[in-house]
Amino acid sequence: MKTGFLDLENWREIGATLMRNKTRTLLTAFGIFWGTAMLAMLIGGADGLERMLRRNFEGFASNSAVIFANRRSISYQGFNKGSGWSMTTADIDALRRIEGVDAVAATDNIDQLPIAAGRYSTTTAVQGVDQDFMKAFLPTIRSGRFINESDQRHKAKVAVLGINVANKLFPAGNAIGEFVNLQGIYYKVVGIASQEAEERINGEKIDDTVTIPLSTLAFAFNRGDDVGAAMLTALPGWSPGKLKPRIMRVLRARHPIHPDDTQALFFFDVSEQFAMVDSLFMGITLLAIFVGIGTLVAGIIGVGNIMWVIVKERTSEIGIRRAIGARPLDIVVQVMSEGIALTSIAGTAGIVFAAAVLGVADTLSGVRFQISFGTAAAIFAVFLVLGIAASIIPSLKAMKIKPIEAINDK
Amino acid sequence: MITLKGINKTYFGAVPLHVLRDINLHIDRGELVSIMGASGSGKSTLLNILGILDNYDTGEYLLDGVLIRNLSENRAAELRNRMIGFVFQSFNLISYKDALDNVALPLFYQGVSRKKRRLMAMEQLDRLGLADRARHLPGELSGGQKQRVALARALITNPSIILADEPTGALDSKTSCEVMQIFRELNADRGMTIVIVTHDPGVGEQTNRVIRIVDGRIAPDQ
Ligand SMILES: Nc1ncnc2c1ncn2[C@@H]1O[C@H](COP(=O)(O)OP(=O)(O)O)[C@@H](O)[C@H]1O
Ligand SMILES: [Mg+2]
Repeated sequence: MKTGFLDLENWREIGATLMRNKTRTLLTAFGIFWGTAMLAMLIGGADGLERMLRRNFEGFASNSAVIFANRRSISYQGFNKGSGWSMTTADIDALRRIEGVDAVAATDNIDQLPIAAGRYSTTTAVQGVDQDFMKAFLPTIRSGRFINESDQRHKAKVAVLGINVANKLFPAGNAIGEFVNLQGIYYKVVGIASQEAEERINGEKIDDTVTIPLSTLAFAFNRGDDVGAAMLTALPGWSPGKLKPRIMRVLRARHPIHPDDTQALFFFDVSEQFAMVDSLFMGITLLAIFVGIGTLVAGIIGVGNIMWVIVKERTSEIGIRRAIGARPLDIVVQVMSEGIALTSIAGTAGIVFAAAVLGVADTLSGVRFQISFGTAAAIFAVFLVLGIAASIIPSLKAMKIKPIEAINDK
Repeated sequence: MITLKGINKTYFGAVPLHVLRDINLHIDRGELVSIMGASGSGKSTLLNILGILDNYDTGEYLLDGVLIRNLSENRAAELRNRMIGFVFQSFNLISYKDALDNVALPLFYQGVSRKKRRLMAMEQLDRLGLADRARHLPGELSGGQKQRVALARALITNPSIILADEPTGALDSKTSCEVMQIFRELNADRGMTIVIVTHDPGVGEQTNRVIRIVDGRIAPDQ
């Protein structure tokens, strides 16, 4: 004899028993539905928030720090408190020689300048970068290439247009190889770039900037040797925090800065931010799973409860079934499949609901909140296992009902 | 068909109750028998033992040559399903299933396909004149109709024996007669072995043999 788990009769019966007390079934189903939805939404929400926060740093090498010269906070060697100083290209070279430093990307910025190409013109920020820029900051190259070492060495008159600038100057596309006029100097366009991160080193986002070699910028705009800001990346095994004392020592040797003046150099450690985000979201994810599973377990206990009540109510019916030939296993299968049906339907609805909510969060935030298929499958597995577990005790109780009880119950 | 030798049964409650005392009984294939006795005399207990719904303490019970003793739950379920058809006083139909599904249910536990068992159930209902009530729920049927549905359910597996416990107990005298008529026809036309428990002498009269139980013992034939 087969158990009839897949028999249509079995499923019709499940439907019939569950539908006989709609309110009760609905309330129980809601427990599972809510538990599953909570679990899925919390996991998706935590991941989405993390992605949102990380988006700010996307494109930054994670083991890096942004540095630039700040006003002195302590008077020193005739320089007053509050007086400024500048980093120079020579400082950058000195920093590059520190053990543990991988690259130091020097940049300088000029705010809003008019720029023209053919009959189109606009205003744009201009930044000069050197060959290390690509190591510290990972811009998205839309087409062509970025500034390289040869450009820097030869003070080449080449430019990489931010995507927004390119769209304004070359609405028809085909910017590469064309020339742009910046303050009377023509630069050949070699690439178009954008950035993922919300964060910027200083100045505008790359999307709204024209990037030229730092050496070209210094020459064309009479900047001398000054460097606006630098992004320093550490070698594997080193961290910006570990390198900071050495960096300070090198810079103090080259500039009059008081030994106790910690303010004179702005030092933003990106790796620390990453580490903080990491541990923050590890915690949030754990909390989400904890709370979600808790809610789900509460829902499952409801299922166990309801199955227990259903079995008690149906003692006589189960007795009749046993009298006309149902084996204990048939009864177990029947009760278990009811519990499983209830949990799977309600749980699936919960996942679908959560997916819809997370989908809306996706569109609103522009960041992925949606849970992966794997996560959804895992949640499905969790509530199915819990649903089966919850049905075990009631179904064993049902199995013990003797056929004689059908008659005696009357 | 049925042979009982020295059957004893005691209910061990707060006060042990020796319900069946040294029952010896033989029922042949094709007999239509009634078991009569006062209320509490042990008729149902005896019938439940015959139907493998309950155990006995000592003695020997042979059903169609099979010794019924210490059976596993699965084996007991299978024997009930294939050899025995039950009819109860309170019908014991499943309230949320229509007549057709109620009748077909024993075949579900045999693993018969849904299509086939519904076909067979329809046939059985038709024979008992209930074809037009197939899609009705038990609540929508009269007592006599319910008992006929229960009978159809008992008959669908083509059992060796029909066991009926006060089958007319909940029916008025007219429908009682109709139901008894069906039992008599089943016995006469199809040679069905039928055992009916009753305390109604009118029912006993319509059977071919009456077994009387007094205080858990079989009374000698008059
Ligand atoms: N499960 C049981 N536990 C204890 N006593 C029972 C049980 N079933 C029946 N009895 C008692 O056994 C006696 C016989 O019962 P039963 O066989 O139902 O009698 P009848 O069907 O002839 O009225 C009664 O006194 C009844 O109270
Ligand atoms: Mg009785």
